[in-house]
Amino acid sequence: MKEEQINELLNELGRRATEPVRPGLGEEIKQRIPHRLSRHKIGWDTVNIIIDLRLSKSVAAAAIIITMILLLNLFGGRDLTSGGILKDGMLLINYWRGVGEDHVSIARSKYEHLLDRGENVIWYGDSIDIKDANSVLMQRKLPDDKYELTFADGREKQVNSEQLVKLLTRMLEKRTK
Amino acid sequence: MGKKAKLAKQKADLTYLNNNQRNIDSDKDYLGQRRDSLAARLRTGDRAAAAELVDEYYQQIYLFMRKLGHDRQVSEDLTQECFFNAWHHIGQLKDGKALNGWIYRIASNVSRLHWRKHKHMEVIGIESIEMPNTGNDEPEKMEHNEQLERLRDVVERLPLKLRETIILHYMQQLTIAEATEAAGINQGTFKSRLNRALKNLRKNIK
Repeated sequence: MKEEQINELLNELGRRATEPVRPGLGEEIKQRIPHRLSRHKIGWDTVNIIIDLRLSKSVAAAAIIITMILLLNLFGGRDLTSGGILKDGMLLINYWRGVGEDHVSIARSKYEHLLDRGENVIWYGDSIDIKDANSVLMQRKLPDDKYELTFADGREKQVNSEQLVKLLTRMLEKRTK
Repeated sequence: MGKKAKLAKQKADLTYLNNNQRNIDSDKDYLGQRRDSLAARLRTGDRAAAAELVDEYYQQIYLFMRKLGHDRQVSEDLTQECFFNAWHHIGQLKDGKALNGWIYRIASNVSRLHWRKHKHMEVIGIESIEMPNTGNDEPEKMEHNEQLERLRDVVERLPLKLRETIILHYMQQLTIAEATEAAGINQGTFKSRLNRALKNLRKNIK
């Protein structure tokens, strides 16, 4: 058989090889059209899945509240005076730089940050022996007469006023020697 | 018939052919504009355009699935799946010209995935071929119909990749560019597969 003849026969076969399509099929497909047709973007699949789930308003509200609670636990659940995200950031910087390498500059930046926020902080870092791990770099006043101290080795400790006086006196004594 | 009459008839035929060609061209322009507008509306997320797309293509896609050898129920499911995938890949639709290739590509992928999951499933093509009711069973017509039946059987026996090229280009009437896009391969590979498929048909249909 010649090529043209086959081509013609194939075209004819395409036209004739047909059968009735179930009438409801088109409507069924239309019912599945999502409420929001959106452009496909990488990373938006999860959002699209949620949209396609067609959650009721109350379920959606519950999901939002649960998400907010989880986020608050992750980022907002700590006492604000303890540093929160700032502290985590500094720990991360510590890790990158090598632990114990530059506690003074980290404490300094924290001091400046707290000072900007209007907190009651005092910096001792310029007049102490930073090789001594027990030297106090910074003092920060907390509510209920307590103080948070940052030491030269990066440690942080909460002390009362008596303990603070003792530590500062010892530091002064060392310096005068 | 005199010379004048012959000339007049030839002129009339030429005018008819010219008008016919003009009508075909204007139909093509209209179809092109309609598809461009549909594609643009789909890209903006218009649900009415999505419904229009279903109206225009669901029968074609269903028959495409049937021609690929899926049974009726599977073809319906795969047609639904094809549109469901289309809603999620609207961003990949470029313009009206690409509409055919885009929707058939999704359909081809859906079908391929199904075959991959059900490797040993039997190929069930469309059983009946619509024959024009001429009223008299002329031997020539009967022979022609038998030829068609034989060709259908040979097409059904072709390997899936070759069968797909024949169905896309000849039976679904897609252009080479559209069929290439639908098959998800480059044009050279598509043409080579088409040649192999035609050779195979010629060999087996004698």
